[in-house]
Amino acid sequence: MSQQTNKVLPQGVAESDFRAALEQFRALLGAENVLVESEQLVSYTKIMMPGDVARNTPSAAVTATSVEQVQGVVRICNRYRIPVWTVSTGNNFGYGSAAPGQRGQIVLDLKKMNRILHIDAELGTALVEPGVTYQQLYDYLQEHDIPLMLSFPAPSAIASPLGNTMDRGVGYTPYGEHFLMQCGMELVLANGEIYRTGMGGVEGDNAWQVFKWGYGPTLDGMFTQANYGICTKLGFWLMPKPPVSMPIEIKFEEDTDISDIVEFIRPLRLAQVIPNAVVIAGVIWEAATCNTTRAQYTTEPGATPDSILKQIQKDKNLGAWNVYACLYGTREQVEVNLNIVRGALQQLGKGKLVTEEEAGGTQPFDYRAKLMTGVPNLQEFGLYNWRGGGGSMWFAPVSQARGSECDKQYGLAKQILNKHGLDYVGEFIVGWRDMHHVIDVLYDRTDDDERARAEACFNELLDEFEKRGYAVYRVNTQFQERVAQSYGTTKRRVEHALKRALDPNNILAPGKSGIDLNNGFEL
Amino acid sequence: MMTTTKPQPLRQLLLGCALLLSATAAVAESNRADGEQVYTRVCGHCHEAGVGPVIKGRNLPPSYITAIVRHGFRAMPAFRSAFIDDASLQAVAEYVGNSPAPGNKGKGKE
Ligand SMILES: Cc1cc2nc3c(=O)[nH]c(=O)nc-3n(C[C@H](O)[C@H](O)[C@H](O)COP(=O)(O)OP(=O)(O)OC[C@H]3O[C@@H](n4cnc5c(N)ncnc54)[C@H](O)[C@@H]3O)c2cc1C
Ligand code: HEC
Repeated sequence: MSQQTNKVLPQGVAESDFRAALEQFRALLGAENVLVESEQLVSYTKIMMPGDVARNTPSAAVTATSVEQVQGVVRICNRYRIPVWTVSTGNNFGYGSAAPGQRGQIVLDLKKMNRILHIDAELGTALVEPGVTYQQLYDYLQEHDIPLMLSFPAPSAIASPLGNTMDRGVGYTPYGEHFLMQCGMELVLANGEIYRTGMGGVEGDNAWQVFKWGYGPTLDGMFTQANYGICTKLGFWLMPKPPVSMPIEIKFEEDTDISDIVEFIRPLRLAQVIPNAVVIAGVIWEAATCNTTRAQYTTEPGATPDSILKQIQKDKNLGAWNVYACLYGTREQVEVNLNIVRGALQQLGKGKLVTEEEAGGTQPFDYRAKLMTGVPNLQEFGLYNWRGGGGSMWFAPVSQARGSECDKQYGLAKQILNKHGLDYVGEFIVGWRDMHHVIDVLYDRTDDDERARAEACFNELLDEFEKRGYAVYRVNTQFQERVAQSYGTTKRRVEHALKRALDPNNILAPGKSGIDLNNGFEL
Repeated sequence: MMTTTKPQPLRQLLLGCALLLSATAAVAESNRADGEQVYTRVCGHCHEAGVGPVIKGRNLPPSYITAIVRHGFRAMPAFRSAFIDDASLQAVAEYVGNSPAPGNKGKGKE
């Protein structure tokens, strides 16, 4: 019964030790929560990165349902030096999905820990377990008529606040920078101890979800995009649902307009006239999310010619760039702000403003409106049908919110993508002073040639951007070591020292963000 | 529509919820094997929106559906048993396999 048919072992672990560990996992979690057969593990290996799936094949997956079980898993992993990669809802598409970062790591899958522990309607706070999806939260708020609004990434319905925030993801409301809205974490450390950040360690405290900093060092950030602890509870803030939300789109005709658009948006965003994480989406992004596929226009391989893109823009009534913003408040507030936006647009002398009524329920306006008002949907997965074949890597360099910078990044990215026969499918997400320039490097993963080109392309994107002082904010697991190099060696030595101190057996997700006791970055 | 809740004074909104809540509420996602519910909350977001092909009304064999869901298929993500347990998957596969094609009630796409 306990036969291991997957034939993958954790690195450096003897088969007999692995078997012994599996027995202990079964005793702790129940046999049905310890998956080792290839057929059971197949869902963990649906990656979208170009590398061979063998690199990311787990030796086992275990599911825990309580904090005590997570502690138990960590103890067993320490005993046998078994590296463990944690996922919450495990839908980290384009960044590694639910597959472990390195071959042979076991996956600790926390999807079954799915309790909404607390919602405070007055203070607008939530405390959730790892497996709680945004859809579940949304349904809960609806059912109980709680007037709070969610902010989530586009895969809303199947993603989680905890997983998204631990990877420092973004959404589209005024609370779109999710880590900024995080307040209080509970972590199981590598030694099995439980650590609560902020006010969470104070006996009898009730301010854990309202005051972030606590006392002394504030360590929350250290646990995100990292491997120093397993998060088992996450607190975060929810925005009061405004009486009126008014999503708008502004279409711009030319791809050379990007610089002017950014200069137009920045002051409005900084002054909070437009308070949400505005998006400036390129034409292919728009086309794909209203279910347009490349094959409808051409069967030629390679980059899609600009002439076709112009045709699509015309056929589908899209802009070359499409700005999505939302105004929130009372009717009066929204009206005042809308007039300011209209005024600024008039000054700019280009751009066509579209209201929800004018859009009339069509895509992509409809799903953008939902993202900006906290209604779950999965419309953005239309991106994967543009070229088809299930290959996707996010290339997400950070940029200043400055027109000239965005223009430069756009030009450079497009040129490199096209050189490798791929398309620029990108959007800018406006933070406050920054842009997440998010580009979906889409390719057909079933086509070996295209897969190789995608890999070469991604390397070149990282290299050429780095030469100009740009780096990405997050990356898929195949490139995590490469990106760590961009951020300098001192950072890596500090991270190594922390790893040594907190996880001397190197069991928690070694390799995450390039942090691994085997990487040679001793202080 | 979803974007315009009735203009109410903020104070009124806040008072309304003070009554509703303050106690800790721990709620877990129900694990009922309700095929329709899984379809609506997961599959339908893509398969009723033109992102995935129509799968209702095609008499697709449940075993084919469950295999696609567990393995994923090109642009379609894989769903683990921790995400959709075996009983729920079987239920949704049977629900889809036995359903008539969806009516054309969706919103205009373009
Ligand atoms: C079409 C499309 C659009 C997307 N749009 C967005 C977007 O708008 N914004 C965005 O941010 N992303 C986006 N994504 C990427 C991704 O799907 C989301 O970020 C998603 O929220 C991540 O998956 P998840 O929530 O299931 O988290 P998980 O996969 O559970 O977690 C993500 C990572 O966080 C770490 N982690 C998870 N749980 C823990 C834990 N308990 N303790 C410690 N570390 C942990 C792990 O490294 C894990 O790999 C998009 C993807 C697609 C396909
Ligand atoms: C994120 C979007 C998405 C979700 C959620 C999703 N699917 Fe899919 N599905 C797709 C796409 C896209 C395809 C087509 C894949 C391709 O050909 O590249 C597909 C294909 C399929 C197919 C094959 C259809 C055929 O024509 O042979 C089946 C069956 C299927 N899905 C079932 C399901 C079920 C059941 C669920 C819910 C448990 C589900 N899907 C959830 C996107 C999705």
